[in-house]
Amino acid sequence: MLEFTGENEMEQSKEELWPYFTDTDILAECAPGCKEMTLVSPHEIEAVMAVGVGSVKPEFDVDVVVTRADRPDVLEMKAVGHAPRNEFETVAQMELKENASGGTTVVWSATADVSGTIASLGGRALKSVTKRLVKKFFSKMQAKADEGVEAESELEAAPEEDATLETDD
Amino acid sequence: MKPAPFTHHRPETVDETLERLEELEDAELLAGNQSLGIVMANRLATPDHLVDLNGVDELAFIDVDDDAVRIGAMTRHRTIERSDRLAETMPMLPESAGQIAGPSVRNQGTLGGSIGEADPAGNYPAALAALEGTIHLRSLDGTRDVPVDEYFIAYMFTDLREEELIESVSIPTEPFPPERTGMTFLELKRAAQTFPTVSAATSIRVDDPTADEPIVEDARIAMANAADIPLRVEDAEAHVEGGSLSAEALEAVVETVSSAVTPESEMHADRDYKEEVAGEYAKRSLETSYERAVATET
Repeated sequence: MLEFTGENEMEQSKEELWPYFTDTDILAECAPGCKEMTLVSPHEIEAVMAVGVGSVKPEFDVDVVVTRADRPDVLEMKAVGHAPRNEFETVAQMELKENASGGTTVVWSATADVSGTIASLGGRALKSVTKRLVKKFFSKMQAKADEGVEAESELEAAPEEDATLETDD
Repeated sequence: MKPAPFTHHRPETVDETLERLEELEDAELLAGNQSLGIVMANRLATPDHLVDLNGVDELAFIDVDDDAVRIGAMTRHRTIERSDRLAETMPMLPESAGQIAGPSVRNQGTLGGSIGEADPAGNYPAALAALEGTIHLRSLDGTRDVPVDEYFIAYMFTDLREEELIESVSIPTEPFPPERTGMTFLELKRAAQTFPTVSAATSIRVDDPTADEPIVEDARIAMANAADIPLRVEDAEAHVEGGSLSAEALEAVVETVSSAVTPESEMHADRDYKEEVAGEYAKRSLETSYERAVATET
């Protein structure tokens, strides 16, 4: 089990940012290596993402369930990804906090279970890779917000019975 | 398995290559194809486009002038291994190239491919770390010169941006006058043609090779497959600089290197073992470099 945490400062307010983090078209453009993203229902996303290190970027079929969406403070998702010889399961949470300069501090954390080729990289390598990918995600998100791209909040939390992910095994 | 479908592009100039990189979504550069093809055949990478650099002749060259050695990214291991000019000026490079994998890989594999892949077990990354090389990157916006210690960031992670390619690598010649410098690249391998368990790239410059006890003016130590990046160990260099490579100094090197490295365990070599051999190989590598530095027939 790997644990990741981090913080990112953003210039807009929580209310302004919330639609960006919950609009799948925006998410698709900001998520590193995202090839497709489909909103199946307000609390389910299916995506195809190529993530990895160097040229090793397995293509994961990712199923996401939104487990918490407390506008504009907390967003939490569970995700399962399958790729040839690789699998991951993760729970990721994002908390938006107002900062002194009128912008927002995004505090994020994730726990992940990884297996396969990517896991053989070891925890240290995965952490540095994750850090880079997350940084990229937030800088793209910041650019979208700065441009004032249209964003529409599409996500809401799954009802209790849907909040678990189906796994094949 | 076979790779997922992709479109193959074969530009003939750097500019054309950079335009393709700019316009194509999800493209990978292909150099000597000694790693990427295997990765793709295992479906561990599924780029939609391959931009093949094998037709870009301007990227294959070795230039040596008074200030620097400069090698183009598409130069094959074989060419580096057999270069007389490099053997005279920067012998660690041919020596490290000659120990990469086996002959078929050396015939095709390239300097840029190795540095682009950035496997910390690779030979050139450690050699460049020891020699304080600079990586020259190019995009449509122009060129960017990145010192080796800023280029390698983490395991297979570099400062190279998506729209950039590696143009060349350069090493200043001034710190390595051939008549009083010795350098070597020493690998520990469990079997021929495999990745090394650990490697030690070292260089030593002495004040006067004809003296009874030549003094080390400058020492360089970098380790491969001993951390998540090629690892320069400057703390260990300090032990031998200013002296004549005494047994005590070498013992201090062994200890410093062993505690500086953070290797991952492998099937045939656990972490403790790798820490121990890293120190030992740094020492042996330094001994060889010193012998070469003081050998008067240059």
